[in-house]
Amino acid sequence: MTFFNVVVRGLMRRRVRTGLTLVGISIGIAAVVALVGISRGFERSWEIGLKARGTDIVVSNMSTSLTPKPFSASVRDRIAQLPHVSATSALFVELMSIEDSEMMILSAREWNAFVWENLKLVSGRMPSDAAEPAVVLGQTAAEVLQKRVGDPLQIEATEVSVVGIVRGGALVEDGSIILSLSLFQEITGNQGKINVIDVRVAPSTSEEEVKALCDQIHNVAPEVRAVAVSQHLSSSQGYRMVRAMSWGTSLLAVLVGVLGVMNTMLMTVFERTHEICVLLAIGWKRSRIVRMVLWESALLGFIGGLAGVLIGAAAVKVLQTTPAIRGLLEPDLSIGLLAIAVVIAVCVGVVSGLYPAWYSSRLTPGAVLRG
Amino acid sequence: MNPVLPDSGAANTPIFEAIGLKKDFDDGQVEALRGVDFRISAGEFVAVTGPSGCGKTTLLQMLGGLDQPTGGTLRYRGKSLADLPDLSAYRAREIGFVFQAFHLLPSFTSFENVQIPMFETNRPRSQRADRALELLRAVGLEHRVHHLPAKLSGGERQRVAIARSLANGPSVLLADEPTGNLDSASAGLVLDLIVRFHKERQMTLVLVTHDMAIARRASRALVMKDGQVVDTFAQT
Repeated sequence: MTFFNVVVRGLMRRRVRTGLTLVGISIGIAAVVALVGISRGFERSWEIGLKARGTDIVVSNMSTSLTPKPFSASVRDRIAQLPHVSATSALFVELMSIEDSEMMILSAREWNAFVWENLKLVSGRMPSDAAEPAVVLGQTAAEVLQKRVGDPLQIEATEVSVVGIVRGGALVEDGSIILSLSLFQEITGNQGKINVIDVRVAPSTSEEEVKALCDQIHNVAPEVRAVAVSQHLSSSQGYRMVRAMSWGTSLLAVLVGVLGVMNTMLMTVFERTHEICVLLAIGWKRSRIVRMVLWESALLGFIGGLAGVLIGAAAVKVLQTTPAIRGLLEPDLSIGLLAIAVVIAVCVGVVSGLYPAWYSSRLTPGAVLRG
Repeated sequence: MNPVLPDSGAANTPIFEAIGLKKDFDDGQVEALRGVDFRISAGEFVAVTGPSGCGKTTLLQMLGGLDQPTGGTLRYRGKSLADLPDLSAYRAREIGFVFQAFHLLPSFTSFENVQIPMFETNRPRSQRADRALELLRAVGLEHRVHHLPAKLSGGERQRVAIARSLANGPSVLLADEPTGNLDSASAGLVLDLIVRFHKERQMTLVLVTHDMAIARRASRALVMKDGQVVDTFAQT
């Protein structure tokens, strides 16, 4: 028999209670995995999408919402004149409810700009010109909307035709409805407005020069902000809010887990007062009693963490197939995030066990054993 | 038995020496020990006897370092217990406890219960297991090794408790009414075992009992009343 056996036996005494505590922790950790995984996945999907379009700098006005605020299309002309800029493309990106789907990405792109280059036709054709009332759908968007080439598609009050299905090289691109900017402006009444400018820089441009260019863009167009692709989403106040909410909600769930473990460990210690006093009487050091309680609570956290990671990952996979999320993002279920979740769970266990451990170390065997 | 002086003899080095030992409870409202003096020599078998509530168990717990005196001095091998840097090490290595209520851990088998005190020694796992088996064999329970306490009779439980008390080879065995919860047949067996181990292993044995027949088996008996040693008898 090892000390670890003693620790495990302590948890096995009340299997139902231990099981319920594990459920509590695992739900908290599942929330961490699901919410944080989704928000991080959103960030990553967006970045990959921008890179797939060959964009180096994104110019937008990312305020408190997830989509940028519209601004005048003339900004693009000011930016195009700046050094190191090799190409620009005006866009209007919007999240909209389309037919039965709660949220779809509409990516309206300046006709003939470089942002169309990454789209590979899977079936059908591209729109013939900027004025044609036609859209192409990313593969996932077509699946979500259950549309084929030739089907009509309702965008606000206008009916357009699906003329092609495309592959965009990134989940965000594949989940988008893509149409010409002028058509979108007409449908939504946003004539002369755009909300994103994708900038491509000359191939020899260094990182420092990209940074300097971002500053220059801000100087010539104070109403917008330019950021390199890697920082685009993380600089968004709206996205930062979503991320903070993900962590906040997760930590709240974790806090519930902490209280659950603490309650279980306190009950365990109270119930085992007599047993702990016997252990002290036969020579166990108080530090060993403390270690026993902390190991028990850490083990609860560890097992709860593992279960939570599995539940969270499974929940995210299920969520990914729902129409509301499908095609919007690929959740981040990296080993790093899962490991962080398990570490959080173990910390939850240890922190929750601190008070019960301290309490148990203060017991005086004489009084209890005298009866 | 003849009355003798509390001092067991100048020739023997006292393993325990109590001088004016006092213990109060409830902020002095209850005086469990009221100035107790005695000496116990190494290897001696001393019975502590007296009516219920006279302070026998409190005295035994003081000897075992489970409780601190509120007055007086208690020395072990010449050193005050209050000055020992690590009372748990004293309990683990010097003292073996046998309780009236056995106090076995209910979710551990006999074999595991006997191993538990050995976690405080540096014995490797295999040695702990060997030692536990050897002790269970010595108390005649080799056939009950993997039984939980709930599956054992009272006498068997007490024999497991005796095996556990011997796990770390203590110098002193403290037994608090070890036969108090047993039928007479089991009580005789348990007492014989305790006395046998005391003799074979040359351990000091301090046994609390209210049964004068048991007290008579000791080399000496301290008779307590109202928190004081009122008489001492030595066997002739």
